Amino acid sequence: MGRRGYRPIAKMPFEFELDLAPLLSVMMKLVPVMLISTAFVQVMMIESDLPQAVKEAIQKQEEKPVAVVMMTPSMKDGIKITVQKNGQQQVKMVAMVDGQFDFPTLHKTLQAVKKENPEVFRIELTPDGNVPYREVVRMMDEARRSRDKEVRFPVFDAKENKTVQTEYMFPDVVFSNVFDG
Amino acid sequence: MARRRRFSPPQRSTTFALNITSMTDMFTILLVFLLQSYSTAEIEVNPEKGQALPLSASEANPIMSLQVSVTRSELKVQDRTIASLQNDDFTKSDVDSNDTNFLPGFFKELEQIAKDEKAKEEQFNAGTTTVRPNQAILDGKILVKADENLNYSVLRKVMYTASMAGFPKMKMATVVGK
Repeated sequence: MGRRGYRPIAKMPFEFELDLAPLLSVMMKLVPVMLISTAFVQVMMIESDLPQAVKEAIQKQEEKPVAVVMMTPSMKDGIKITVQKNGQQQVKMVAMVDGQFDFPTLHKTLQAVKKENPEVFRIELTPDGNVPYREVVRMMDEARRSRDKEVRFPVFDAKENKTVQTEYMFPDVVFSNVFDG
Repeated sequence: MARRRRFSPPQRSTTFALNITSMTDMFTILLVFLLQSYSTAEIEVNPEKGQALPLSASEANPIMSLQVSVTRSELKVQDRTIASLQNDDFTKSDVDSNDTNFLPGFFKELEQIAKDEKAKEEQFNAGTTTVRPNQAILDGKILVKADENLNYSVLRKVMYTASMAGFPKMKMATVVGK
């Protein structure tokens, strides 16, 4: 009796078409749902979710303030940064450039102030009445955290019992002239 | 002579397969885009018509709070118009004559909202109602949606009056920017 050779049961086609109809029907249901619930204008809120070590440092600073950093923007003179420490006052000015606030210089100046006072996390903002709100928000952005990834500031983490590096400069912004006359 | 055969149209299949591959591609791209801009915020905050919120690098989602909107023409608490603005400042009738930072109408509205919420809390605690009070209002949280073109003096009046009315925890609504 001769042995029969292997023969495949059926020839598989080299090409086949994937049935995309169920996938499409799922998408047809998902897309309207997403269209309804999607926010095309993403409104956020100015509040920093701070690391625990920074929060503790802010609390410590509230209990026992070591230095006061103030930022006074004016449409006439530019931005005045005042640091009060141990009864001494240091003033730095960021002049206007072509009638506009010089934000890159402001950021660098604030980085320098933070390097000199790493224990300070609060900044008192006292803008003049005629400063546009968008410029005030921009100043808050410049003050809150360092944009330069190379520039970090030390903060003591009590839980880990060591000094860690943070990008936050002055995340606690206070409008201190709200109740001024 | 043989009779001419009648014309008969060629037989076509009654069913045909629609190529939906390109449509599926399009939907996939659309879905990815929508998923990217999908917001998981606790509350939905929408700017008023014609209002331009300032750009900010902040990425904190808005939290439950009393929403106050300041456009270049009016001040609104939730959806109620409280005061009006002219030339990017509050009209004289909306500002207190003795204290130029105080907005009496805005103060009254906030005070009333706070009172109503406290009454709700008392009723809820007494078990006379199942409607929970808005904890954010009880905590004095306020979210200010202000037009970026307004001056700080306008914002200062809003902050001053809100603080006096028992809403000192103020947050500012911004739009995701650089």
